Amino acid sequence: MSESFRAAMGRKVVSRASAKGLGAVGHLLIDAQQRQITAVVIGRGKKARLVEWTQLSGFGPDAVMVVDEGALRPAADDRERDGVEGKLDLLGKRALSERGNELGNIDDVTFDNDTGTLEDLVIGDRRIPAGALLGSGSYAAVLDKSQEP
Amino acid sequence: MKLLMTASQIRGLPVVTVRGGEDVAEVRDVIYDPEAGRLVGLSLNQRGFLAGRRHEVLPADAIHAIGQDAMMVLEESSLVTPADAPEDVAHPATERNVLGDDVLTEGGTSLGKVTDLVLLVGSSGEVVGYQIDKAGGGQGYIPLPAQLAVSGDALVVPNITEEFVEDDLVGLGATVDEFRARLGLA
Repeated sequence: MSESFRAAMGRKVVSRASAKGLGAVGHLLIDAQQRQITAVVIGRGKKARLVEWTQLSGFGPDAVMVVDEGALRPAADDRERDGVEGKLDLLGKRALSERGNELGNIDDVTFDNDTGTLEDLVIGDRRIPAGALLGSGSYAAVLDKSQEP
Repeated sequence: MKLLMTASQIRGLPVVTVRGGEDVAEVRDVIYDPEAGRLVGLSLNQRGFLAGRRHEVLPADAIHAIGQDAMMVLEESSLVTPADAPEDVAHPATERNVLGDDVLTEGGTSLGKVTDLVLLVGSSGEVVGYQIDKAGGGQGYIPLPAQLAVSGDALVVPNITEEFVEDDLVGLGATVDEFRARLGLA
């Protein structure tokens, strides 16, 4: 089923093992080349922790279910630290073509809630297949030149 | 129709990695070879207000694309130390600076003085013209052929250049192919 980044922000995160609430979705970390969500950041700010996509038992419409709360961990490297701090968020990020021209800001991103695979990037009234994503970081998401108007 | 930018518009552009989406530097200045009519590279500043010079340079070969909003490189490793850069990028010959040069036609008419370089957007650094202070006053743009001769004092252009002096970059972008076709270069 198709889900959206914007709709998923703030969704509650619950442990399947203990049924305890663990917090709310703060950020989603992605691998741009694989067009894949790699981890869910729970909470925001310095105390936020993350859980890898493979440790979810479901990304549901009402709650994100984590197999076991033991799977939550702090950021392990610089890139994850940037991600936990929200610097790598796709939402609101400037989109650049690989030719160096701005295409607008990313308003939303849709993904398959089963696999975590990115589907489309929403920029204004355009929907761009996530396959056009060449890279993404703190400054910009870079899209294939075929996406220039 | 070609999209063009001046070197002044390129200064200050962020240098962004295609694969990382990171702004790893910004353009300090263009390094230009007037005989070849090509950008040979860029010197760089660190990113951020008053951040200062960055030691590395960006050879033109490593430019993925020049855009209106960013200078694109594949990866941060595209930036190299002067020791690893081609000689003309690491140690540009300052006497080859054409800014301030008098633009003379082969017939001996002065068209004005060079104030800036004009580059083709989307390319990796083709210089297609010059911005000039026109001999008769005001700013203009001339297309660039394979130059006939250039020194620190003047550059000599074909007589037909006089017919192709444009008032703005859009005009130059529209006319540069026709100019080159007339010279048998296109």
